[in-house]
Amino acid sequence: MATLPLQAVFEGDLAVLLVPVDDGDAMSAVAEKVAHHVADRRVPAQDRPLVVTFKGSQLPDDVTATAAGIGPMDVIRVGYR
Amino acid sequence: MPRLERSQWYDLARDMNWRLRYVDHDQFFPRELSDDMGIPAEAWWRSWDEPYKITYREYVHNQVDKDTGVYSVNAALARSRMFERLAPAWRSAVVAHYGAVVQAEYLAAMAEARMGRFGRAAAWRNMATLGTMDEVRHTQVQTHFAHGLLEREPRADWAHKSFHTNEWAVIAARGLYDDMFSGNDAVSTALQLTFTFETGFTNIQFLGLAADAIHVGDVDFGSLISSIQTDEARHAQQGEPTLRVLIENGRKEEAQRQIDHMFWRTWRVFGLLTGISMDYYTPLEHRSMSFKEFMEEWIIKQFRDQFRDFGLELPWYWRQFVDELDWYHHAIQIGIWFYRPTVWWNPGAGVAPAEREWLEQKYPGWSATFGATWDVIAENVRQGRLERTYPETLPVICNLCQLPIVAPAGHLSGHLASPEPLLLDHGGRRYTFCSEPCRWIFESNPERFAGHLSIVDRLLGGEIQPATIEGVLAYMGLSPTEVGDDADGYAWAANGGREG
Repeated sequence: MATLPLQAVFEGDLAVLLVPVDDGDAMSAVAEKVAHHVADRRVPAQDRPLVVTFKGSQLPDDVTATAAGIGPMDVIRVGYR
Repeated sequence: MPRLERSQWYDLARDMNWRLRYVDHDQFFPRELSDDMGIPAEAWWRSWDEPYKITYREYVHNQVDKDTGVYSVNAALARSRMFERLAPAWRSAVVAHYGAVVQAEYLAAMAEARMGRFGRAAAWRNMATLGTMDEVRHTQVQTHFAHGLLEREPRADWAHKSFHTNEWAVIAARGLYDDMFSGNDAVSTALQLTFTFETGFTNIQFLGLAADAIHVGDVDFGSLISSIQTDEARHAQQGEPTLRVLIENGRKEEAQRQIDHMFWRTWRVFGLLTGISMDYYTPLEHRSMSFKEFMEEWIIKQFRDQFRDFGLELPWYWRQFVDELDWYHHAIQIGIWFYRPTVWWNPGAGVAPAEREWLEQKYPGWSATFGATWDVIAENVRQGRLERTYPETLPVICNLCQLPIVAPAGHLSGHLASPEPLLLDHGGRRYTFCSEPCRWIFESNPERFAGHLSIVDRLLGGEIQPATIEGVLAYMGLSPTEVGDDADGYAWAANGGREG
């Protein structure tokens, strides 16, 4: 496991954030790490599951960052399903 | 001592050129210090003609009068409690101004001195010599004014300190000024500093800022800015004759590229400093117009006229620039407030109910986007969850303008097709940009910008230790007593925050 810095855009937020994750993190964990910086801070939290979108495709919750081909400083989008 | 009439000696004195015999022309005017753009020396000398002419004697006479006036006002107000009685957010605007501007004035003195030595025409060098003294004066008078505030506002010290730190906004300002003049040749400096930055933006901005200062009762700052503006109006006029020489000698395309480049960079910083000062930090009862109205009435109109007069095209990104007047500075305002521990002033939120009503009126749709963000923040303040109103990570920073990337706000407010930043892999390194114009500027001259590290690059590269927000604040030179906090003690949220 190695730290993987990502550029994250959370749906409804105003800025692109630097969010460090682990390259072995599943997408569900990646989404939570991004949401931690935004949900109920600048965007109302919702009781719905989160989803990560990378290069236009929504990724399954259980796929890891490495398996999804996400590299350092790649841009991901996170939003509620 | 002979007393000749001015007309008998003035042109000889102001435009005294000479032919070089001991060095060749390229040694005397090295290209990296003065790019003639292939225009013959004779053409520069014969054609360059400044619109406003002044002798050294007249200059000194005028400057003495200005200094006498402005220092007298400062001395008279020194023992008053005027500063303490000003609105807190306005005081923040003043402290932000001193930190962002004073050391830049000194850098501008060096830029003027470079034009004073390497300007391609004798009359230009004469005018730039006076410009050098202007900028030295601006450094000194503003340092003096800021120093006088120290007992009441210790962070006025940032007038001197800021440019010696790695605070993020200072990195952005240094990056801009290095590109515009500290690391620029004399001809390009005339186009980018005096024509684009000063004639186009700061001269008019200083007029508005001085008027605002007087409106809010800040006579001290108002007289200071007025005094500076009169110098700016004069030495900014080095840009037009330089541009005219380039156009007359077939270099319009290069001039256009340089102006397009610097207009965008200036807009970015202008949106940040002036945008939030006008729409959020100036007390509501003293706002005569919104930032957007000010830009439309003064900056846009003037630039359109200038571009037309010189036969230049509007910058290729003009539509995007005009579009950004609706959203860019609102996003930056929220960012600066949320990241308030990373600045040397106390950011005002400026979103009490009446202020929100004004913002919605001036910027229809503001409530649904930016207001909705403030709703979440205000609720956290009211519920005592202040920890949720502070950052735990950095925003991604644009590798050109060095400002936070707020493209998602442009998307959210319906102005951009995508919220994502723009990427460029160059020389084995990934670069991120906030906008097409910033990427265009970088790609136009990558070797000029590629080596610079943004604060995010420095964090990821291990230069900032520990790699935490606390480590970042220490790296930025912000001690616990200097970090910004809400200017109004969160009163805006306690009063409701939400509309109505």
